[in-house]
Amino acid sequence: MEKNQSKGEAIVVTSGKGGVGKTTTVANLSTSLAEMGYKVAVMDLDIGLKKLDLILGLENRVIYDIVQVIEGECTLKQALVKDKRFPGLSMLPAAQTRNKDDITPEQVQQVCESLKEEFDYVFLDCPAGIEQGFKNAIAAADKAIVVTNPEISAVRDADRIIGMLESAQYNDINLLVNRVQNDMVKSGNMMSIEDLTEHLCINLLGIVPEDKNVLISTNKGEPIILNQRSQAAQAFNNIAHRISGEDVPFLQLEDVSFWSKLRGLGRSFLPTR
Amino acid sequence: MLSFIKNIFKQDDHSSRRQANDRLRVVLAHDRAGTSSELMETIQEEIIQVIAKHMDIAGKPEVNFIREGRHSALDISIPIKGR
Ligand SMILES: Nc1ncnc2c1ncn2[C@@H]1O[C@H](COP(=O)(O)OP(=O)(O)OP(=O)(O)O)[C@@H](O)[C@H]1O
Ligand SMILES: [Mg+2]
Repeated sequence: MEKNQSKGEAIVVTSGKGGVGKTTTVANLSTSLAEMGYKVAVMDLDIGLKKLDLILGLENRVIYDIVQVIEGECTLKQALVKDKRFPGLSMLPAAQTRNKDDITPEQVQQVCESLKEEFDYVFLDCPAGIEQGFKNAIAAADKAIVVTNPEISAVRDADRIIGMLESAQYNDINLLVNRVQNDMVKSGNMMSIEDLTEHLCINLLGIVPEDKNVLISTNKGEPIILNQRSQAAQAFNNIAHRISGEDVPFLQLEDVSFWSKLRGLGRSFLPTR
Repeated sequence: MLSFIKNIFKQDDHSSRRQANDRLRVVLAHDRAGTSSELMETIQEEIIQVIAKHMDIAGKPEVNFIREGRHSALDISIPIKGR
């Protein structure tokens, strides 16, 4: 897991549509990479509507926030909240009582560059929408993870975001499909992973199933990756390994429907009488 | 060959998955090109008028978006009457 030879990598997690699982993704990928031994920082850029501290279970340890760092009220080091469960993980909290246009893309970039000096990975949790908060978040990152759900409005927004990332000169844009329900795909009532990659035409980074454990661990403020029996946890762990450069096969999710299709194929060769 | 396989693997026509895919295909093509269905109809009519000035059109012209990767192209097909 040797990484820290030079500078870290900044990854923005974005979606356009709200509520598709950006913060859940940031929380789980960052804890998973920290568990693997990397040094990871997360930046909550959802200023005014912060949630990352809650999902990570660090809400009681927040003292300063990113706006205070930018305005020089505290140092970056003072504002970083260290996760005691994962020694490699630190969070830079968002401000709750400020607005997204209280900071600029250049300022976020500066903070992010300082974090990259010290951490292997810096995740930027992007707010929903395509306004100032989105612009702040994408200014600083080296690559992007676009989170979507297999649902038309989420995919349409993802497409818009991908277009905007391309215009912002991103060439490393990756798709994470969250909340996939394989039984619904099989019964013809949910778009499949192939459908989504065909529409969006970007690299598929990961597939995360719908999983009740996500809500349960959010309730507890515990990262789901610690739950061995959760399918979503397994998916997030796999994605974290892929980010670190390992070649991890995709979850079985799709294979099932592939075999059922093959069976269907056999049937379609039978004479129709 | 690929399209042959694709056809066999195609979802049945009535599934909501199929409808979602069809609707998305249209909407994404329009979003990317920054056009609406209405504009497409205007374009279609104007193109047909221009062609009709010089040639006899046989049957209904078709205007479609075709997609290659993340890019769209306008595919116009106008049947012309032979002599
Ligand atoms: N794979 C999943 N299975 C079940 N529930 C999930 C899954 N992923 C996310 N959720 C739930 O969806 C909700 C929204 O998730 P989350 O806050 O991560 O989205 P978001 O994109 O960050 O939202 P916002 O745009 O408001 O920032 C949460 O209640 C979360 O528990
Ligand atoms: Mg969020």
